[in-house]
Amino acid sequence: MRRRWWVLLVVLVGLLLFLLWPREPARDADQADGFSVVDMLTGEQAAEGYARVTGPESLNFPEDHGAHPEYRHEWWYVTGNLHGEGNRHFGYQITFFRFNVDPEATDGESAWSTNQVWMAHLALTDSETGRYFHHERFARGAVGLAGAEVEPFRVWLEDWRLEGQEGDDIMPLQLTASEGDVAVSLTLEAAKPLVLQGDRGYSQKGPEPGNASRYFSYTRLRTAGELRVGGETFQVQGLSWMDREWGSSVLSEAQRGWDWFSLQLDDGVDIMFYTLRLRDGDVDPRSKGLWVEQDGSYTVLLREAVELEAVRHWDSPAGDARYPVAWHLRVPERDLALEVEATLDDQELRTGFRYWEGAVRIRGEREGTPVRGHGYAELTGYAD
Amino acid sequence: MQVYRASLRYMLRHPWQLALSLLGVALGVAVVVAVDLANQSAGRAFELSTASLTGATTHQVLGGPSGIPEAWYVDLRTRQGVLQAAPVVEGQARIVDAPERGLRLLGVDPLAEGDFRSGFGALTEQGTLGGLMSRPDRFAMLSSDLDEMGLSVGDRVDVEIGGRTLELIVAAALQPERELDARGLRDVMVMDIGAAQGALGRHGWLDRVDLILPDREAVERVQTLLPADAQLLEAEARNAALEQMASAFQLNLTAFSLLALVVGAFLIYNTMTFSVVQRRQLLGLLRAVGVTRAQIFRLILLEALLIGAVGTVAGLLLGVALSHVLLELVGRTINDLYFMLSVRELALSPWSLALGVLLGLGMTVVAAFSPAVEATGTPPRAALSRAALELGVRRQLPRVAMVGLVLALLGLALLVTGAGLVAAFAGLFLLMIGWALMVPVMMRLLLHLLLPLLGRFAGLSGRMAGRGVEAGLSRTSVAAAALMIAVSAVVGVGTMVDSFRYTFSQWLDATLRADVYVSVPGSGQVQPDAVTALQDTEGVETWSTARYGRVGSGEQRHRLRVFHLPPEGKRAFRLQSGNGEEVWAAFREEDVVLVTEPFAWHQRVAVGDRLPLRTPDGERDFRVIGVIYDYSTSEGAVVMSRQTYDRWWDDPVVNSVALYGVEGSETEALIRRLRENAGAVQPLRYQSNAELRRLSLDIFDQTFTITQVLRLLAILVAVVGVLSALMALALERAREYAALRAVGFTPAQIWTLVLGQNALVGGIAGLLALPLGMGLAAALVLVINQRSFGWSMQMAFPPEVLGQAFLLSLAAALVAGLYPAWRMAKTPPALALREEAA
Repeated sequence: MRRRWWVLLVVLVGLLLFLLWPREPARDADQADGFSVVDMLTGEQAAEGYARVTGPESLNFPEDHGAHPEYRHEWWYVTGNLHGEGNRHFGYQITFFRFNVDPEATDGESAWSTNQVWMAHLALTDSETGRYFHHERFARGAVGLAGAEVEPFRVWLEDWRLEGQEGDDIMPLQLTASEGDVAVSLTLEAAKPLVLQGDRGYSQKGPEPGNASRYFSYTRLRTAGELRVGGETFQVQGLSWMDREWGSSVLSEAQRGWDWFSLQLDDGVDIMFYTLRLRDGDVDPRSKGLWVEQDGSYTVLLREAVELEAVRHWDSPAGDARYPVAWHLRVPERDLALEVEATLDDQELRTGFRYWEGAVRIRGEREGTPVRGHGYAELTGYAD
Repeated sequence: MQVYRASLRYMLRHPWQLALSLLGVALGVAVVVAVDLANQSAGRAFELSTASLTGATTHQVLGGPSGIPEAWYVDLRTRQGVLQAAPVVEGQARIVDAPERGLRLLGVDPLAEGDFRSGFGALTEQGTLGGLMSRPDRFAMLSSDLDEMGLSVGDRVDVEIGGRTLELIVAAALQPERELDARGLRDVMVMDIGAAQGALGRHGWLDRVDLILPDREAVERVQTLLPADAQLLEAEARNAALEQMASAFQLNLTAFSLLALVVGAFLIYNTMTFSVVQRRQLLGLLRAVGVTRAQIFRLILLEALLIGAVGTVAGLLLGVALSHVLLELVGRTINDLYFMLSVRELALSPWSLALGVLLGLGMTVVAAFSPAVEATGTPPRAALSRAALELGVRRQLPRVAMVGLVLALLGLALLVTGAGLVAAFAGLFLLMIGWALMVPVMMRLLLHLLLPLLGRFAGLSGRMAGRGVEAGLSRTSVAAAALMIAVSAVVGVGTMVDSFRYTFSQWLDATLRADVYVSVPGSGQVQPDAVTALQDTEGVETWSTARYGRVGSGEQRHRLRVFHLPPEGKRAFRLQSGNGEEVWAAFREEDVVLVTEPFAWHQRVAVGDRLPLRTPDGERDFRVIGVIYDYSTSEGAVVMSRQTYDRWWDDPVVNSVALYGVEGSETEALIRRLRENAGAVQPLRYQSNAELRRLSLDIFDQTFTITQVLRLLAILVAVVGVLSALMALALERAREYAALRAVGFTPAQIWTLVLGQNALVGGIAGLLALPLGMGLAAALVLVINQRSFGWSMQMAFPPEVLGQAFLLSLAAALVAGLYPAWRMAKTPPALALREEAA
């Protein structure tokens, strides 16, 4: 009997504790959502309110070196191939992206108030050791955190900076950026004047009116300076390429992504070419390119003029993406046949917006003479 | 087996007694558990909210009185490469349709938040980020909070921020994936930093910059970059210091709840003692048939344990229910006294419940120990008469009283000499228990004094009532002690609150000397033009201004109040220490400060000490020339003259202006003129002296609601206690009354007798409770409050509190007599006699 009292007591208290014991909360999970660059770059949705690129217009410099905040997106895209002591090869990319995230917003009272979001990517390929580094940053285009200015030319996101001169000609440029194991400090000098892509800078990207961008490039920038990779510093020189583009939509519903190449040949010719891939596997007829001669004169390369064939693929370790990493590129009418291959397979930026942007090496023949060169390829729409 | 059945039958035959003692235990446990749960919940809410809002922050940069210039932050990112940095502005908000929820307004840069707070993912989503960053009227909140208020994304809501009502739009519903954030972000309103600056009138300034600094080197680097009057503090240490502030308040609540348990223990003791006395014959019989002393002892303890267990379980359930009420009150007090905290969820801590079980059962066993020992003393066949027992008890009275005296003195000594709060509360409890042990002796003395009077004024019944009480002293004194303890607690807590309120209102009278106080609704800067307009208004004799902020000092941050005072204004400060003449001579001219009394207590600062404060020229020593009385904040504050402040800080901001009207001017008319003059410059809040005083007292009362509730609970336990004790006493005498009826007493005379006895016990208990109650009040006011909050208070013994307590005691005793009296008067004597004989 005595025992039973205790049992009763223990059971009662136990039951109560059981009923009232706080349950363990669900296991903490990582945050998955965030700013989506893919949404910013694709589709027709919610394009109203933005300025649109609807046809050829003359560009105004130096203003057009600066930002065009009324358009949905814009970028300053610098890529380059550099060589250090012993011909050690490095590829680098720094891109400043600008997005307008609320076209109808009026300027608020606060200095912080803005509809401009900036994103920047810094990537470095050390082809010899097979290392690839990339970093991503975001900041608002206000209070001096990020922005673009002219007179003098300057585009920056925090302490990543691309700075130039006053006036129409912003060259030479000084590029400074560092993060983690990587630092670049380079001077870029134009070896050729800027070229207007498409129709006088008007680059039609889809069938819809306004589905186009304003696009110009510096295809050959002599580059010299210093790189830091890990604990090592390298004095380097080589060639860079800068693209400037802005608009309010890039891909239409039927388009899946693009393969874009900037190729710099050692005979002084530069070639830009992109193919817009359609969801049904075809290539959009609006794909095109530009042939820039040694003297800076240039002509449009139509899609039909270029044969591009992927000859090797690489599977991303992050899964769900298979990128081409070697190509045969031919321009029969100019008697050009090139083998283009990534200096390193894994040059995928696994950031919020996944894409492949990497250095390529070129071998081939032009008019019976061997040519070599380097360049950059950009592959989007492979990862979902 | 037989033994237990007998015990069970006994209990079932006295259901009232059983029920009341169960209620006593249950209430005692309930109050302790409820207070502990409320405290734990507040603690848990604090932890969750700091965990969510601090996130991965390791360090925080906090500025001088006006904050940190935003340009410093931008430079940190763009020039210094310190990238794991997040700017924050903070404030308070209230949704007009849900005024009961105090919201914490947090202004952040969503793009800088990534590494910091994981619950803010929704801010950077497509379609949300743009609106938040570019428009001044967007905010985000937990989706569960929005649901509770019936809001959804896109809705327009009126929100009061800084005294202004703004129409805002719900831009996003936060749905953090971590459970921790889903709770820690309750009642947090998130805005973009720009919008928050606008809403709070803080353009150009940040309240703090959160940093993630990975190593010592990074910390040292940021140290070198700090603005001169800013501090780099460890986030954890800062949170701990914040939580520490509220701990004294929470300890107070716990101590008050233990009071209820002590009263509950007396109830159990009372019940068990009665049950033993009433069963003397039965126990004797059991001993005669061979039941051992040890078995009897176990039996009584087991009975107590059963009552304890059932009462405890009931108490736990009741406690959980009660804690919901207390939760809100505790949250409110913490908000008023310390920091913004949303406590809406009960954290059912197993420890609180275990504590309830432990205390409930433990107290029962301790309380039953003495009756159990007494029961083993019952000889076989219970030859001992009741009279002999009383005699035995009486012989022990002096010894018990001596023990009581020693305990009480020990308690006093602890109170007077001990350091710290725990010692003070231990002293308080010792004093109470000691006094309770002295009750029987004092009661006997009082009865001796009263008996002749009773005879003269109430005749035979009166004399019989007095004798009855005295004859059953072993029982009546226990009941009286239980009642006395409960009533004294009521007196003590009541007197403390009244003393505090009295002191507070006296201080308000002394402090609020100007006729009109003008400030920016909420908080913010009174524009210089508005200050001039106010000062130049017709009918203004003189004026003073104030600036409120925080200033760094070593690793701490102190409240700073800067006053520009006219000569009359000085009278608003009452010096607790410091030489008046010297103080006023030096206040403006030298680098000196005054500190408030709680500041001096918490920071261990005295007149003559040097207080280092971070100025724009780095840390400088300021001499403390006086300690002033101040009841506005328990945290304490440093007070500086405007002249001194202007010598060190380049910060002309004024937060409020006080205006003194010319002799005989009418306040309402003055406010009208002030409004006319300054209204065009800036919307301001105008408060008359009387209005501000009333508002302050309202807040005071709101802050102390929790104390009043605990006081009510103590009264409740007391009433249950006296009901239980006196009803048992009266019922025990059933046979005695039956005999009286048999010898010709009328029912009316029985009524008089029963009620008279109860009134006597209640009256004596009430009387004895007064000195103890006042003693408790003195201990609470002079020792415990002083140590908890750093405030010295004037004692005020309002006669109505004392009178109420005495009447409460008397009334409870009389009510307790109604049922027994009614039953005794009604029952035919023969039946009563036979029943008892059975």
